[in-house]
Amino acid sequence: MSNLTYAQIDQTVLNTLERPRPPYWVCVALLLGGVLLGAGAWIYQIFTGIGVGGQNIPVAWGTYLINFVFWVGIAHSGTLISAILHLFRAGWRNPIARAAETMTVFAVCCAGLFPFIHLGRVWQVYYMLPIPNQRLLWPNFLSPLMFDVVAISTYLTVSSLFWYTGLLPDLAVVRDRSTGVRHRVFRILSLGWTGAHHQWLNYGRGYLFFAALATPLVISVHSVVSWDFALGIVPGWHTTIFAPYFVAGAIHSGLAMVLTLMIPLRRIFRYEAIITLNVLENVAKTMILTGLIVGLAYGTEYFIAWYSHNPVEWDSFRWRAVGEYAFGLYFMILCNVLLPSLFLFKAVRRSIPWLFALSLVVNFGMWWERFVIIVGGVAHDFAPHAWGLYAPALVEYGIMVGSFSLFFFLFLLFCKHLPSVSMTEMKESVNHAG
Amino acid sequence: MPAETCIMGLFTDEGKAAKAIADLPAAGFRLRRAHSPIPSRTIQDALKPGKSRVGWFTLAGGILGFFTGFALAIFTAAQWNLIVSGKPIVSLIPFFIVGFEFTILFSVFGNVIGLLVCARLPDYRGLDRYDPRCSGEHFGLLAACESGREGELMDFFQKKGAEVKVFA
Repeated sequence: MSNLTYAQIDQTVLNTLERPRPPYWVCVALLLGGVLLGAGAWIYQIFTGIGVGGQNIPVAWGTYLINFVFWVGIAHSGTLISAILHLFRAGWRNPIARAAETMTVFAVCCAGLFPFIHLGRVWQVYYMLPIPNQRLLWPNFLSPLMFDVVAISTYLTVSSLFWYTGLLPDLAVVRDRSTGVRHRVFRILSLGWTGAHHQWLNYGRGYLFFAALATPLVISVHSVVSWDFALGIVPGWHTTIFAPYFVAGAIHSGLAMVLTLMIPLRRIFRYEAIITLNVLENVAKTMILTGLIVGLAYGTEYFIAWYSHNPVEWDSFRWRAVGEYAFGLYFMILCNVLLPSLFLFKAVRRSIPWLFALSLVVNFGMWWERFVIIVGGVAHDFAPHAWGLYAPALVEYGIMVGSFSLFFFLFLLFCKHLPSVSMTEMKESVNHAG
Repeated sequence: MPAETCIMGLFTDEGKAAKAIADLPAAGFRLRRAHSPIPSRTIQDALKPGKSRVGWFTLAGGILGFFTGFALAIFTAAQWNLIVSGKPIVSLIPFFIVGFEFTILFSVFGNVIGLLVCARLPDYRGLDRYDPRCSGEHFGLLAACESGREGELMDFFQKKGAEVKVFA
């Protein structure tokens, strides 16, 4: 990395903004098709009613909530990489920080859609906003769902502002090396940034405060998401371990998504000299830690259920291991704890195919973890006569495809229109290394 | 007031740029701005700038947010005036969550406002006396001199190892 000059860094990143070739547009079209499919499914649900989804008593929280928690989780590692590792001065995060931040913004956008979708009558969303309704009643902030509204909207706002602030110097680089419409657009977007000393002085301070504020925010947001469940009395949900358990799981899944995105990005845009194998290896090393924390949380949940001598709690966890959804439990243990431990071997950590394959495995496993927690809790709670099973309906699959398509669609647009690697931070790395 | 001419010295070495910053006043020229592609510690040390005041904006935003969050939660709960789950109407512990999130949100708003105010952004007029190479690999020093001393200033920069650009 230290062998690169400033000009080489600029050129490598600016090359990615050149006119895309046909395969790019094919991918964009396919993903747009997925987005339209999801939008169509949602519109169908709005006109027909929320009953077209598979959610019903006792499992009223299905894939909409699973995907909500999944996407919020994906968002978290972006903030870990951009804010927390910035505070720790971990230089290896520089090449992937921009893409990870972008991932955060898009993942929160996807997550934020699901409460709207789950509402059914989406036009009544204003009930959740701090404005009085027609009976002059305001939302009551004693509910964890209201905590969620505040936390997620704060997270989206803060992540977006953090992302844009970090982009400013790079927008100026694109402005200075472009002509025509692109130059005019980037001239406006870069706010007249010139890299003057007073700008850098205040930018550095402001960015540091952003990182310092985003760090407790990211921990609070997934803690609040976990309290959507933990503040209920449902067995399997009502536990104090949920906040750290969710935060660790979020970072675990987010890191996996970082690998899923970075590996093709590195290959397609020829970023090998910037996103080095060492960077990817460090992400894998961090995943060993998060995987172990997640494994500890799985074990602790079972231990506490047994140790509590609470028959309902213990039966709920026993059913998870031997009941109809047992495969989900074994998927999540295998995919989130056992297989990522292969990263203990250096050969696996430094193998691109292994890194990519295991990142997909962890993404898959973390989705199943949320299925096991959310569906597994309410499907088998206190009263045996109220037990019941759940399977997603076609509309839910359509919306799920739509959300994944939307995420990758937005990311694909970002890659070709904005610098996907922070040129400024890369130059700083080179400067410090030299 | 005598007419001034602005001349920019473009350096590829930040150490030479920092040395030029230190020597400019002794040569009788005024440094207007220093541009760099990265936040250079060497340049900042040579300039000896004051402390950034962005933090005060952030702090003010945070304090405002903390009280706004609590006030909103207390106000809305008072409108219901219903006891939920046996908790008091004004329950400080759950309201702390709202207060905390608003603290972060308003701190960030304060931070952004502080950044824009202190860095004087947007500043599109600053681009009139700016060289695009400064966002690439050059360190640009924009200095001013009285009319008639342009040659001296150009010589000064060239002796320090810089390329020179004159602004009308």
